[in-house]
Amino acid sequence: MFKLRSWHAFSGFSFLLVLLPLLTAVGAFLSYTEQAQWALYVQDSYTWRVIWFSWWQATLSTVISLVLALLVARSLARRPHFMGRWLMLRCFSVALVVPSIIAVYGIILLHGKQGYVNQLWHWLGGQPRSYVYGLVGILLAHVFFNLPLAARIFLQRLEAIAPETWRLSSQLGMSSTGLWRHIEWPHLKGVLPQLAAMIFALCFTSFAIVMTLGGGPKATTIEVAIFQAIRFDFDMAKAVYLSLLQIIFCGFILWCGLRLGRPIDMFASQGIGHSKLSLRPDTQSLMGKMHDAAVLLLATLLVLVPLVAVVIAGINDAWLQVLLDVRLWRAFVNSLWVALSSALLSLLMAWGLVLAQRYWRQRHRLAAEAVEWTGSIILVVPPLVLATGLFIGLRPHVDVFAINLYVVVLVNALMGLPYMLRVLSVAYVKVSSDYDRLCSSLAIYGWHRLRQVEWPILRRPIGLAMALVAAMSAGDLGVVALFGSPDIQTLPLLMYQRLGSYQADAAGVTAVLLLGLSLTLFLVLERALGGPRD
Amino acid sequence: MIELKHVRCGIGEQQFHYDLQLPEGEIVAVMGASGAGKSTLLNLLAGFIKPDSQVDGEGEIYLGGERVDTLEPSQRPMTSLFQEHNLFAHMSVYQNLALGIRSNLKLTTQEQRQVEQALDQVGLANMGSRLPKQLSGGQRQRVALGRALVRRKPLLLLDEPFSALDPALRQDMTMLLKTVCQQHQLSALVVTHEPRDALALAQQVVFIAQGQVHWQGTSEDFLQQTDARIKAYLGENC
Repeated sequence: MFKLRSWHAFSGFSFLLVLLPLLTAVGAFLSYTEQAQWALYVQDSYTWRVIWFSWWQATLSTVISLVLALLVARSLARRPHFMGRWLMLRCFSVALVVPSIIAVYGIILLHGKQGYVNQLWHWLGGQPRSYVYGLVGILLAHVFFNLPLAARIFLQRLEAIAPETWRLSSQLGMSSTGLWRHIEWPHLKGVLPQLAAMIFALCFTSFAIVMTLGGGPKATTIEVAIFQAIRFDFDMAKAVYLSLLQIIFCGFILWCGLRLGRPIDMFASQGIGHSKLSLRPDTQSLMGKMHDAAVLLLATLLVLVPLVAVVIAGINDAWLQVLLDVRLWRAFVNSLWVALSSALLSLLMAWGLVLAQRYWRQRHRLAAEAVEWTGSIILVVPPLVLATGLFIGLRPHVDVFAINLYVVVLVNALMGLPYMLRVLSVAYVKVSSDYDRLCSSLAIYGWHRLRQVEWPILRRPIGLAMALVAAMSAGDLGVVALFGSPDIQTLPLLMYQRLGSYQADAAGVTAVLLLGLSLTLFLVLERALGGPRD
Repeated sequence: MIELKHVRCGIGEQQFHYDLQLPEGEIVAVMGASGAGKSTLLNLLAGFIKPDSQVDGEGEIYLGGERVDTLEPSQRPMTSLFQEHNLFAHMSVYQNLALGIRSNLKLTTQEQRQVEQALDQVGLANMGSRLPKQLSGGQRQRVALGRALVRRKPLLLLDEPFSALDPALRQDMTMLLKTVCQQHQLSALVVTHEPRDALALAQQVVFIAQGQVHWQGTSEDFLQQTDARIKAYLGENC
């Protein structure tokens, strides 16, 4: 007999929270299909260019990031005693939670018309050139984020190779090429398809980067074109058309990714870089040393230098004036609120879904899988598309600009949901298989079970996942720009405006504050919730 | 003669110091408690670990009168065999053996015949095309032994090669190792925890304690020892 329990309500509420926005968005899209002038759109060469550019930049970003990451991971693995190794790996993990507007800012500081590269070029006698806006800048920014992500996963794989294998290879006298062919490549190729699919999806739906560094007719992606259709052209039907296209493409990319295997945990590589033993036989040659030096220098230029440039730009005389500005602190408080609410909401959604999943797993496998799919909706309906749907769907009923931040929280929580859900579900399966019998034999149920048994095991993954969601939400510049109104600011939005209005000093200080907020949120939540480390 | 002249090295807090002479053409069992320095001895011999700075005459390693501690691991006349991870998982049994001859796997007809012979000797004829994951643990160690044969190095260094195997398999492998070493006149250093293996395999035992050679002698003598440390290691039953 079916008995209603409290978790049923909780679970149902989570489902509603996840599905309602989606249904609203889809409903809004469908209501526009009659107005849409399909024939006109299909003939529109601009739209075709946008579609082509979306695929092209994502392909290039993926290939470049992966190739560089392979080289960097290999060089890092070969140099366990390299002095900057710790710093580089630290920056690599930090790069995952750097707000995209900050990365863009760092890249402009380095590559912009008045940037360090052009200054050096000028000093050498060349004419300053503007190359950062457009494809080059977009690629630089995508590499900034995805090179560290992939390099960490590759390095983790390389460090997992048994010491015996290296000893064997040195006894067999393998050359560097032989090591690559017989040892490294077989260990790395397994993660490659999944990683490529993930990076491709991230780049394909990337918004803030393309909006700030691209945006012209030559360098616009579908995601940005949707934004432009709403904000600049006020052409809702076109936004709907592009949104539906984006949903089809994202669905296709996700389908390809799933065919390639189980998703990899992109943040699992926490404890890397500890291996101090160098057993490889190919580290001593001069060529090898020069090669590694060149690769690590390139990684430094691509990832570390933009971050350092942001910090340097933030140290200027304007700080007092900027910090005394009330708007800045309002934006700060808004961003903090968005970050914490998104993380909490994401956790609640995931928890509710996991409870349902646990219930269904023993009764109906398909239903359990459906739960996981529900949590991954955001992968098919990317944030800006979802926000567009909500914008169009809610506009007749409420003042969309007033509910700005709530939508930001909701969309960011949904963005974190796939990761949160997976982390939580894996941990729950472990708790179940390890302690279910013990708990029932000792009669530990309900609240006591949660507190005594589950929390100590779940807190570490929950801490990491919440820290990630919070940090990413704090730096989100997508939904907030779409719904943006002058009254409600967040730090990334403020940063974006100051970047556009040539307030260099103010932008610098704001950037450091935003970077600091993201990193602090990440570190504090991870430690506070995750508990003491072993 | 295999000779280590006051070879020292420090790993973390622990200091190791080996001064040792062993006959060639024999199987020697290396015994001792966990962490005593058995594997370190083998790693130093193979060149996987570099000894600490050498004072004249000290820290040198000789094999058959030739100095080997100045050579790279790949140039030393020895082959190592570990408890696991001896094979490349993506390569067939045949390729794993071929790797012992040439790392680009391109073998001459004569070399191909060598590989076939070695496979035959370790009892894996017709298994050349299998992948390591299609083999049992014992078969995998046979492949590793086969590779040691095609490499034709006079000294085998085996670090607990059969510890992961069932007792019966272990006995088979012990016999195989013994036969192979006799046929090819190989010397072997075998790290083992099992006194019975030591007795069945080796004429000589080296007992290591606290990073040094504590005792050296024949395997029969070893089991009769009244030395407190050895008795403590062997336990009351032996």
